[in-house]
Amino acid sequence: MGNLENPLQLLPVRFGLSHRQRGWALFFLFAAFFIFGTIRAQLSNLAGGDHRYLFFFIPLIIAVCILSGWRFVLVTGLACLIYSELLSPPVWPPRHMTLPHWITVVVFVLTVFSIAIGGTLMQRTERAAILAADQAMDREKRLNAIISTIRDGIIIIDKNAIIQSFSEAAEGLFGYSAQEVIGKSLTVLMPEPMRSQHHNYMQHYFDTGEKRVIGKIRFVPGLRKDGTQFPIELTVGVLNSNGETYFIGFVRDLTEAEANRKRMQDMQAELIHISRLSMLGEMGSALAHELNQPLSAIANYMKGSARLLEAPEPDLSKIRDALTSAGDQALRAGDIIRHLREFVGKGEAALKPENLHQLIEDTGALALVGLSDNGVHLTYKLSPKTKTVMADKVQIQQVLLNLIRNAYESMRDSQKRDLVVSTNLQKSGEIVISVADTGPGLDPEIVNRLFQPFVSTKTESMGVGLSICRTIVEAHGGTIWFETAPEGGAIFKFTLRKPPEGIDDDQP
Amino acid sequence: MMTSPEQTIHIIDDDKAMRDSLSFLLHSAGKASRSYTSAKAFLDSGIDDLDGCIITDVRMPDMNGLELLAELKARGTRAPIIIMTGHGDIPLAVEALKAGAADFLEKPFDDQIILQAIQKAMTSAPDSESDTLKDGFVAELATLSPREKDVLLGVVNGKPNKVIARELGISPRTVEVYRAHVMSKTGAHSLSDLVRMSIAVGL
Ligand SMILES: Nc1ncnc2c1ncn2[C@@H]1O[C@H](COP(=O)(O)OP(=O)(O)O)[C@@H](O)[C@H]1O
Ligand SMILES: [Mg+2]
Repeated sequence: MGNLENPLQLLPVRFGLSHRQRGWALFFLFAAFFIFGTIRAQLSNLAGGDHRYLFFFIPLIIAVCILSGWRFVLVTGLACLIYSELLSPPVWPPRHMTLPHWITVVVFVLTVFSIAIGGTLMQRTERAAILAADQAMDREKRLNAIISTIRDGIIIIDKNAIIQSFSEAAEGLFGYSAQEVIGKSLTVLMPEPMRSQHHNYMQHYFDTGEKRVIGKIRFVPGLRKDGTQFPIELTVGVLNSNGETYFIGFVRDLTEAEANRKRMQDMQAELIHISRLSMLGEMGSALAHELNQPLSAIANYMKGSARLLEAPEPDLSKIRDALTSAGDQALRAGDIIRHLREFVGKGEAALKPENLHQLIEDTGALALVGLSDNGVHLTYKLSPKTKTVMADKVQIQQVLLNLIRNAYESMRDSQKRDLVVSTNLQKSGEIVISVADTGPGLDPEIVNRLFQPFVSTKTESMGVGLSICRTIVEAHGGTIWFETAPEGGAIFKFTLRKPPEGIDDDQP
Repeated sequence: MMTSPEQTIHIIDDDKAMRDSLSFLLHSAGKASRSYTSAKAFLDSGIDDLDGCIITDVRMPDMNGLELLAELKARGTRAPIIIMTGHGDIPLAVEALKAGAADFLEKPFDDQIILQAIQKAMTSAPDSESDTLKDGFVAELATLSPREKDVLLGVVNGKPNKVIARELGISPRTVEVYRAHVMSKTGAHSLSDLVRMSIAVGL
C-alpha cells in the first residue's frame, strides 16, 4: 500500500510479470519507439516536414501508460517531441515554425498530459480493486480455515437447495466428498419423507416467510452415502449475499457427538422417569406391604372358619362374624388398589398447547437412535387440522417413542418395512394419532393383555411400554387402542384433545 | 411336651384386622390369646413373669418389633417371641433371629405354619436346638458348593437377594435358585429354619 507512488513496482502484480518479463517489456517499448520514429522520419522525407506526424506517437504513449505510470508517459512524450521535431527539417530553429505547427505541438503536449492523468486515475482504481480482491481472498481463506476446524458439518445451499459448499466435517458425517455433492440438491442427504417434502418446506418459507426451521434447533434424520440413516441436530440460518438468498446449515451428529449422546441419555432418562417406571417399582413394595395386611387377615379368618366348621356343632355366629370381617378386609384391599390407581392416574401431566407436527417429527428422529436396522421407511401424514394439541410434550414423546420402537422392532423380519405416523381430526373434535407398521401384527396369545404391564413376546424386553403408553394417554383424557391393517400389520392409535377454542391455534 | 390350654398367646400388632383375625384363628385352634395395639401397651400391661408366647409385628409406630424384642430380652423374659414380617422385611427378620427371636413368619401365613411355630416355640427351650439336627446341618454344610455357601452367607447376614446378586455378579433369579438348593440340601423347611440353624452353628 505504501508503494502507490511507484507504479512500476506494481507492474508485476498487475500483469503478473516477473522482473525478467518487465525488462523485456521495456525493451519492446524502446524498440517500438525507434520503429515509430524511423517510420515518422521516412514519412517526413517523402512528404516534407509535416508537424502532424507528431500524433503518430500517441499509440506508443498509450501503451506506455497502460504498462507503466505518469512519469514514464511524460518522459516518453518529451522524447517523442524532441525526436520528431529534431528529425523533421526545417523545424529548427523554432522561429521557422508556423502557427499550425505550434498548435500541433501544444495539442500533443496536452494530449500526453491528459493520458498521464487519466491513466494514473484508472490505475489507482484498478489497484484498489485488486487490493480488495486480495483481502477478500484472504478473508475467504481464513473463513475456510475456521470452517474446516469446526466439528459441526456446515452446508450452504442456494434458494433452489443446490449445495454450494460442503465442509470437511460434513464430508465425514455424510461420507460424501465435497466435489460429489456440490451442485447437487440437498435432498440427497435426506431420507424419505423429508426428501419429498423439502421442496414444499422451502417454498412455504419463500411464500410466507414463516420460519419453521430457521433459527431453531431441530432433530432430523440424515442419510449417509452408504444409505444408512443417522439422527442429526440441525440449525439453519439465512444468508443474503448480492441479492441472492443462501441457507447455511450446521449439522451435528447425535449418534457420535459424545456430549449430545449424553444429553440424549439424560432426555431418555427423564422420559423414563416421567413415565413413572421408577415410581412403579417404589410403589410396588409399598403396595405389597399395604396389601399384605388385609390379605393376612382374610387368610386368618378363612382358615379359622374352616377349623371351626370341623367341630361337631360349629359356632355359626362366630363363623358368620369371621366371614363378614374377611369380606371387609377384601374390600379394604380393593380400596388400597383404587387409591393407587387414582394416584397414578391423577396425572401431574401439565397440559399445554403443543405443536403436534414438530413433536412427532422430532420424536421420529429420536426414535432412530440406537436402531441399526435401517431398511425401515418412516413417513408422516400429518393433517393440517391437527397442528396444535393439548399435551405434556415429554410424556407424549414417550408414548410415540414406545409405539415407533415397537413398530420398528415388529418389522425386523418383514419384507416390506413401512412405518407411517399419521394424524387426523375426528368429527368429535379429538385428534387421532396413529402409528402403523407392515410387520406381522399382534401375537393372538397376548392381544387381550396387551396394555397390561410385564406382557411381552420379546426375551430382552420388560413389556411395560404399552402399559406406560396407556397410563399417559389416559392421564391426557384420551384412549389408546390398536387395529389390524388390511395387509396384516399393527396400527396403534390414541386420541388427544385440541386446545380450547381460540387458544394458540396457529402456534408456530 | 404338652401345651397347657391356659397358656396365653400375646398378639402385638398395630393393625386391628390383623389382631382380630389372628385371635380368631388361634381361638378356632383352641388357644387363648390377648391382643395389644402397640409394644408400649404390651409392656405397660404389667406382666412381669410371662407365660405362653409372644407374637409381634415388626413394623409398628413408636417401638418396633425389634426394639420390643431387645427390651424383653433385657428384662429377661423367658417366653418365646415370634416375629411377623411383611414383604421385603427378611433382612430385618434375620436380625431378629440373631437377637434371640424364636421364629419369624412372613405375612400372610398358613394356619398350619403359625400353629406349628407356636407349638415349637413353646415346647423347646430357646438354647436347646436339637443337637442331632445341628450335627446333620453341619454335615450338610460341607456338601454345599462354594457358590451355594456364598449365597447362604449372604442370606444369613440378612442381605436382600438383589444385594447378594450384585456382590456375586449373578442375577437375582440365580440367587433364588441357589437358595432353594441350599434349603433342600440342608433339609431346612423354611427360610426361618435355615437362618436359625445357621445361627445355631455360628455361621
Ligand atoms: N407394532 C407391533 N406389532 C406387533 N406386535 C407388537 C407391536 N407393538 C407391540 N407388540 C406386542 O406387544 C408386546 C408388548 O409391547 P410393549 O408393552 O411395548 O413391551 P415390549 O416392547 O417391551 O415387549 C410386545 O412384546 C409385542 O409382542
Ligand atoms: Mg415396547
